[in-house]
Amino acid sequence: MPVTTDPGAAATVAAPDGGPGGARRFGPWWLVATLVLGLALGLGGGVLIPRLTHPGDDSVEAGFLRDMSTHHAQAVEMSMIAHADSTNARIVTLSGDIALTQHGQIGYMQAWLRGWGLSPTSSAEPMAWMPDAAGSVVNGLMPGMATPEQLAQLREAKGKDLDIQFLTLMRQHHLGGIHMAQEILKLSDNKDVTWLAQTMVTGQQSEINLIDQLLKGLQAS
Amino acid sequence: MSTPGPERVPSTVKVGKTSGQGKPPAGGSRPGASRPGAKKSAPGKGGKGRKPVTPVKVAGGRNWGPLAVAGVVVLIAVGIIGYGVFAAVKGGGSWEDRVNAIDGVVDYRAQKNAAIDARDHKEGALKYVTSPPVGGAHNGVWQNCMGDIYDQPIADEHAVHSLEHGAVWVTYKPGLAADQIDELKKKVQGQDYMLMSPYAGLDKNISVQVWGYQLKVDDADDSRIGEFIKNARLNASMEPGAACSSGNTTTGPVTASAPGTGMTGK
Repeated sequence: MPVTTDPGAAATVAAPDGGPGGARRFGPWWLVATLVLGLALGLGGGVLIPRLTHPGDDSVEAGFLRDMSTHHAQAVEMSMIAHADSTNARIVTLSGDIALTQHGQIGYMQAWLRGWGLSPTSSAEPMAWMPDAAGSVVNGLMPGMATPEQLAQLREAKGKDLDIQFLTLMRQHHLGGIHMAQEILKLSDNKDVTWLAQTMVTGQQSEINLIDQLLKGLQAS
Repeated sequence: MSTPGPERVPSTVKVGKTSGQGKPPAGGSRPGASRPGAKKSAPGKGGKGRKPVTPVKVAGGRNWGPLAVAGVVVLIAVGIIGYGVFAAVKGGGSWEDRVNAIDGVVDYRAQKNAAIDARDHKEGALKYVTSPPVGGAHNGVWQNCMGDIYDQPIADEHAVHSLEHGAVWVTYKPGLAADQIDELKKKVQGQDYMLMSPYAGLDKNISVQVWGYQLKVDDADDSRIGEFIKNARLNASMEPGAACSSGNTTTGPVTASAPGTGMTGK
């Protein structure tokens, strides 16, 4: 009964407005039409709205997450070399810290891309998301990244030489990473992405201070 | 709810035309609306039942208007749903579908070949059922795949482990023209989850593979190489989150000591 009361009520309300006979006949049709339209809008909206509110495949956010994943991966690579080969306890600790942190951050970035239904990689040139970035990529390497030759040298290095090479390369790498993170802070208002980028800027800046201290100590010894 | 109101007004005009016959159903609605309205209003049959003569004329006015409106509404609904489904399917297709859509790709995952699906770590030289291999048991140490370009052949046993980590392995016939090799290099250098090496005995100039998928082409400029890399790189990983660094960086066949070289694989 409560269900059937609704169309009845609709007809009653409509009756004073115009011809009661018309209202009577149109009532069920309108109800069905309204329900169908509502269902369509709900379904359509449910499908489309997440796609419209998530950054898309060519968004600056997607570009940043993909490029920063690759950039971070090289920091992990250099840190793991130093972590395995250094005999300096402070370098072993710092390199382990950087490797774990940045590998963890790659996980955040990849998970967001996956959550947005986007591929973890793209065919876009590195740094394509960043305006005026042309020229900052040399042989496919983003700002601050070490060349294959520098990595080969790092693998061969030992002792204090290894520590200094690692710190010097990582200092340069952090400067490039901070630059990219600051750019996405300017370009994006995505809460997650800007949160992570801000922690990269502050975290890597403080690590640069530590690297400078360690470098000074090593060069004095 | 306001929309039905105005559209009822024209309908009442129609009713007005047939005023003589139209009144009885209108009159009938008053007693009906008071209490048993629910019974009568929902079907609308009441109107038909009362006056056998009138329905012929009223039916014409009654059916076309609402039917047209409902038809338009349904069309809009179908359009909205259709677009949503289209957009979802177009953008959200799986990477496997996109890789399989590339002409010439061989899907070894679909073959369910135990020798290719095996993921055990084994020491020493191993035999693979495809050339180059696309999966199977492999060495405990993976080949470094941080965009590394090896100018000499590398061990299958290490490279297959890199495929397991999600890398795209680009291989080419030894002696391929320098400009063709440079073209391939551009796709690899600086890109993690990529590695490249010459490979003896290829039946085409270039073979690109991830775990379980392979594409062989003759020209480095072939756009299918880029399509394959774009869709399969990292997506093909059997161990999400596994790294490409800390791998073996030497060339040549697998050595007996390889499993013990440790994480940095010197």
